[in-house]
Amino acid sequence: MANEHKWGMVIDIDRCTGCQACVAACQAENNIPINEEKDFLSRRAKQWIRIDRVWEGKFPNVKARFIPVLCQHCENAPCEPVCPVYATYHNNQGLNVQVYNRCVGTRYCANNCPYQVRFFNFFDPEWPGTLWNQLNPDVTIRSRGIMEKCTFCVQRIRRGERTVEGQRGERLNDQTLKEGNYMPACVNACPTDTLLFGDLNDTASQVSRRSGDRRHYKLLDRLGTDPNVVYLKKVDPYAEEEEAHA
Amino acid sequence: MSLKMKLIPLAIGGLISTAVLVLVLIFLLRAWWSTPLQVFGFGEPPEQPIAFPHTVHAQLNGINCAFCHRNVIQGDSASILPVEGCLLCHETIQGEVAEPEIAKVIDHFTNNRPIDWKKIHRLPDHVQFAHEPHVRFLTEVQGLSIEGACSTCHGNVKEMVEVEQTRSLKMGDCVDCHRDNQALTENSDITDCTTCHY
Repeated sequence: MANEHKWGMVIDIDRCTGCQACVAACQAENNIPINEEKDFLSRRAKQWIRIDRVWEGKFPNVKARFIPVLCQHCENAPCEPVCPVYATYHNNQGLNVQVYNRCVGTRYCANNCPYQVRFFNFFDPEWPGTLWNQLNPDVTIRSRGIMEKCTFCVQRIRRGERTVEGQRGERLNDQTLKEGNYMPACVNACPTDTLLFGDLNDTASQVSRRSGDRRHYKLLDRLGTDPNVVYLKKVDPYAEEEEAHA
Repeated sequence: MSLKMKLIPLAIGGLISTAVLVLVLIFLLRAWWSTPLQVFGFGEPPEQPIAFPHTVHAQLNGINCAFCHRNVIQGDSASILPVEGCLLCHETIQGEVAEPEIAKVIDHFTNNRPIDWKKIHRLPDHVQFAHEPHVRFLTEVQGLSIEGACSTCHGNVKEMVEVEQTRSLKMGDCVDCHRDNQALTENSDITDCTTCHY
């Protein structure tokens, strides 16, 4: 009996302050090496979730807009069919999975991803000094030559499943694993509840209620990738007023 | 010397090299598909800092696996008791039979040095394994005792003087069991890659 989960995320842009807490949390949770300036300059920085900053308007009426971008876990993922070794595939819980030990590093998937959320390990990851001791034992350290990306913190979902089964002493099913038993690091860290994670198939869950909001849209929807990450539009009460002035 | 006589050493050499090649091939294939053959120190269990016979502790004295490997029923790793744990018994049992070995334990305790046990069971890289759900499944669903659950993968440790890995614990080994028991779990697809690889 398979679990009919469909993991998804709702990102309310209106609440995002661009504080980068999610980025830092993701970096710590998923054993991502420290990005230095040279990594950004050579476009080899790894950020499973990043805050895209967009400037809107002209000086002096400039507004900064922030969009957290992570792997969209597309239902029609462009990265999946191009993999020659089936290292990336869609599992039946709606996750776009990257299997590190299958990956041979062709980088086709990263080239085909319209969101630029896949990162290639050009070198073995390194941490200075004792930072090696703070790595998360639940997450594989990706070695040189393989692709990596956001997993929706699948290690936390698995741990949630184990906790539910072990502590409550009941068999796991759709009813027992509920919201709050699992939470990706970025959602955990978000101070303004911009990010929400949950089961889109569970009609009572917060994400499935919020994803139907009238502000909802999906990134690059016209490409037909059908992402599992839903964005809620920014509400700007002054926009119309300013347009009238301009 | 005729031509035939000259060819004989060549033929013998060829036979010997073929035999060596076949033996090497057998060794490699066995190591690839299963546990390595125990020859020339390969595949043999590592030498432990203190001789700990499971035969005495687990079989003769009937100590439950989960008494020393406490974390096995609640966490990811099986864990071994700290030296203080050994002293629970060995404070009084100083032993006539294995005095030098027990003296080592007490030495470790008095000098505040942990024992550097060597790891025996090795999983391949890039796999995440937690003991607790496996033990829970084997005891609750399959109805085995704790010892029975442990021996499913670790072999009959009770009868081993030196513990060695008995199953290959490679992916085929894992998947066989996961596939057989898929129907028994109400859990998500346990043959999915993300069950172990993340």
